[in-house]
Amino acid sequence: MASTPSKSQILSLFRSLLRTARDFSDYNIREYTKRRTIDGFRHNRHVSDPSSIAAAYSDAESQLQIARRQVIVYSLYVPKLKSVMEIKHA
Amino acid sequence: MAAVSATSVTFGSSLKLLKSSQITGKASSLKMVTVGWTKSGFPSLRTSRFRVSCSAKPETVQKVCEIVKKQLALPAESELTPESKFAALGADSLDTVEIVMSLEEEFGISVEEESSQNITTVQEAADLIEKLVQKKSEA
Repeated sequence: MASTPSKSQILSLFRSLLRTARDFSDYNIREYTKRRTIDGFRHNRHVSDPSSIAAAYSDAESQLQIARRQVIVYSLYVPKLKSVMEIKHA
Repeated sequence: MAAVSATSVTFGSSLKLLKSSQITGKASSLKMVTVGWTKSGFPSLRTSRFRVSCSAKPETVQKVCEIVKKQLALPAESELTPESKFAALGADSLDTVEIVMSLEEEFGISVEEESSQNITTVQEAADLIEKLVQKKSEA
């Protein structure tokens, strides 16, 4: 495993997190995951120290694993009613 | 009666033209052909097919521009040509990924990793979207 993740690795981790967020059936968790990944990645944008970059990257990776597991768990409990924010008004 | 048979003849020819244009993969030419067949003669059908360029539909480009504007929080009257690069508009790589994700959601497509890293302008995004939407409708 590389000690410092490359730019494309970081971007693909970002994409995987956003894609995993899309699979949540609950509107609130979906929106939160999206918001949190965007905020988290932007917050660490100007980090230049390689060890902190690697630490942030592995942190995000573990969060991705958690999110993937939770998608499966939450899919067992799909709410019957859609959230009000999801109703598209014509 | 004669008029009815004449229109059925032109309809048959436009069907052939539609099939051949589907093979070449230019979906936007379909629109041109169905407008063309109500006019008289075959030459107009053929010239309308050749007039179609390989760029994306203007509605697609328009939607892409709107999504880019919303993502980068650009003012509504800012100039957004199909050739404008995302980097020139103030987008960094994270913004580009977010734009590609919103485009995926908007058009219901799935963009590959490599393709998403090559998108730098509005026109490229629109072309890629067109290709994927067409592949999806053929599948």
